[in-house]
Amino acid sequence: MARSEQTLGRMIRAGLLAWILPGLGHYTLGHRALGLVFFLGITIPYVVGLAIGGLKLSVNPWSNHWLFLAEMGAGGYTTVSLLVNRNVGALKPYELPDLSSVSPEQRSRILARMREHSEYLSFYPESDVAQIYLATAGLLNLLAILDALTRAQTGGLPTYYRELSTTSDAAGGGG
Amino acid sequence: MNALLAAPLAWVPFLHPLKLPPGARLWMVLPLVLCVAVVYRATRTRDARTLSKSTLTTFVNIMVGMVAIAIAFYAVHRAALWLF
Repeated sequence: MARSEQTLGRMIRAGLLAWILPGLGHYTLGHRALGLVFFLGITIPYVVGLAIGGLKLSVNPWSNHWLFLAEMGAGGYTTVSLLVNRNVGALKPYELPDLSSVSPEQRSRILARMREHSEYLSFYPESDVAQIYLATAGLLNLLAILDALTRAQTGGLPTYYRELSTTSDAAGGGG
Repeated sequence: MNALLAAPLAWVPFLHPLKLPPGARLWMVLPLVLCVAVVYRATRTRDARTLSKSTLTTFVNIMVGMVAIAIAFYAVHRAALWLF
């Protein structure tokens, strides 16, 4: 009983830390090199996406709910980005709602505001690339969180350890 | 001169979006696929030292698959144009 509670505690801690900072869950479980790999593999696309797309439209639950949901996979980065988005710059994120869900009058007012502060906004093709990078980074971190949970539960074995145990090469096997 | 200096100084990273060079959009797939391959393979390995070879294999597999799909769609597109 005490052992399963200990495992549950380790899983919750690893999952939470991995959500806050990619790779931190693995690092605290003792997989330091893997933690670094997860950190770089998730942070690089997130930072690149953010730099190309800009904060104002890329991390904005008012303008793109689904993208924001995917980004929340990397919760620490997205929370900090949203706080910066709200507090820095003349254009607030809630001033940029999804244009398909507003009345024509509101739409023209929002477009005028966007034209006024176009330096904050990214357009095609940059906005597309940024969205793909940010969504991928967030979803990859979900994968990393699940792996951290599994490693916390199994004492360090990866997600597909049952599959790997039937092959000779743990790294390359299992397709 | 002042305007030339002011433009880069006024640029704030992450607040002001970066512009991609023309034609760079397609090439941006390469680093992203590499990151996907690294993270995916990292979830399946016991030891980070064995990652490089399996990551490279996965990277090549994804790229070959995506190019094959692109060629197939292009062929369908050409065929549709030719038929209709």
